[in-house]
Amino acid sequence: MLPELLQGIESGGLLIIQDSASYSGRHLLQSFINAALNREEAVHVLGFEVSEEELKDGLRGSPVQRLHFHNAYTDPLGWTDHPAFTVHHFCLEELARLVKQTSHSKPATLVIDSLSWILRHVSPPDVCKTLQQLRKGGAVRAIIGLLHADMHQRGTVGSVCRLATSVITVAPATKGDEAVAKITKRSKSGKVIQDEEIFRIKDDLTIVIQSKSSQPGAKKADSEEQETDPTANLTFNLRLSDTEREAKEKLALPFVFSKEKKTALLHSGPDPDDDLDV
Amino acid sequence: MYTELNSILNTTPDSFTQGEFVLLSDRESDASFLIHHFLSLYLRARCKVCFLGLVQSFNHYSAISQRLGVSLAQAKEKGQLVFLEGQKESLSVLIPQETDTGSPAMDFLRDPAVGLKSLYEFVRSAVSSSGIGEGEADGAEEWGPPVLLVDDLSVLLSLGLSAGAVMDFSHYCRAIVCSLLQGNVVMLVRCDGEGEEDEGDDEGSERLMKGLTHQCSLTLHVQGLPTGYCRDIHGQVEVCWRRRQGDGQCTQKKLFQYKVHDKGASFFAPGTSSAVL
Repeated sequence: MLPELLQGIESGGLLIIQDSASYSGRHLLQSFINAALNREEAVHVLGFEVSEEELKDGLRGSPVQRLHFHNAYTDPLGWTDHPAFTVHHFCLEELARLVKQTSHSKPATLVIDSLSWILRHVSPPDVCKTLQQLRKGGAVRAIIGLLHADMHQRGTVGSVCRLATSVITVAPATKGDEAVAKITKRSKSGKVIQDEEIFRIKDDLTIVIQSKSSQPGAKKADSEEQETDPTANLTFNLRLSDTEREAKEKLALPFVFSKEKKTALLHSGPDPDDDLDV
Repeated sequence: MYTELNSILNTTPDSFTQGEFVLLSDRESDASFLIHHFLSLYLRARCKVCFLGLVQSFNHYSAISQRLGVSLAQAKEKGQLVFLEGQKESLSVLIPQETDTGSPAMDFLRDPAVGLKSLYEFVRSAVSSSGIGEGEADGAEEWGPPVLLVDDLSVLLSLGLSAGAVMDFSHYCRAIVCSLLQGNVVMLVRCDGEGEEDEGDDEGSERLMKGLTHQCSLTLHVQGLPTGYCRDIHGQVEVCWRRRQGDGQCTQKKLFQYKVHDKGASFFAPGTSSAVL
């Protein structure tokens, strides 16, 4: 499903790439930027975590004429006198103004690198509100955000990802430069599709799918195969033969009163404790 | 400076990658020998070095550097090294003397809530200055790209700062030193917890380390041996390159065991110590 997502996100979509300290999702983010640029879309990058040079260095070979970098990297908190974009500018009006500065026929894709930086300084409800307004407002066509999931509380990650139309969670795979992507996609009808793929990012930022680690069909067959008979190796019998049943029925169960037991109880022998001087 | 570590990291005093953010970390072990390595490496490489020594005294660092063959006192005199002695400076903030009210760099001690902007200002002025020795106009020496070393960030947590404030500080340092001036940053952070997962503790060293791992381009993580202390192997260090290398590799990990000697350290592949072979 990763190649489908790379081919373009539906208008009004929000894609979140979730990563952790063990594997950076930024390379995948660059693949998405590269794919959008190759489709001749305008891409606005709100960069908190990488400088413009570093980003463009990573995008070598992509047509970067339509890439617009908004520098929130050098001074995200306004510690110097002339901050370009601070984290407190993260609201609909400011972002709409930024994107409008460059006129294009097509609405642009907004890339946020990363949402984690914003979430450290702006309250999660405000971030969610701004993201929702951006999606519905029409200032941008689609939003792609990077989120370091291990930096936040689970509830925060959950509420941001709830807004997303697609969530890609990346993690390292067993082999060197491969990675696993768990994809959750919500379509407009409300249908949720999940998939898991092992991928590799090539030098030119295109993506090669190595294998689908869990195709729904394959998984089903697997589980059927493993279903073994639980009664196969028992140490006792589950069924009785006729002679066994007869023998069983002959036995008197304990605590069932019978004639013999009654006489035994009434005429019990001498009390063994009789000689005990209590 | 440990030549074996240099060959692992593919650096020499004459040629090293610029613009790198190196994160040193340790867990139930001591990674400070790596700080001494990088300090002597960059002084030999004729870089302009700003060292935030928050843990030990100047004499401590000076004595160890002497063994590794560099003189901190000389470097300071020449203007190559700017040294912030955290212990001394914090004392003059906490017990103000008439003559010395302490460096503004340590202002965060008065009120941790204001953050580390003042410490950043100190770093900025140290790395942006031309590097000409004070009062030595004739001996004006040109220094290479600036380098910031911090030993260690966890102390700031103990002094009442939040992990977020320390991450903001490291971000600004990276922006100016690595990106603007094409220098290098080396920071040490210590993890006290045993477990990888402590959900409730979101302001701790664990969170700081994760945040810094997302920022950095190279990590060296020092751990004790899982089998316990050994006289011939002091521990293991995991080296992880996080930035996309030229040959297309994204993240590359290598594990080494090490032993720290009196005047150096040796690094070897796991299981190849002289005690084993």
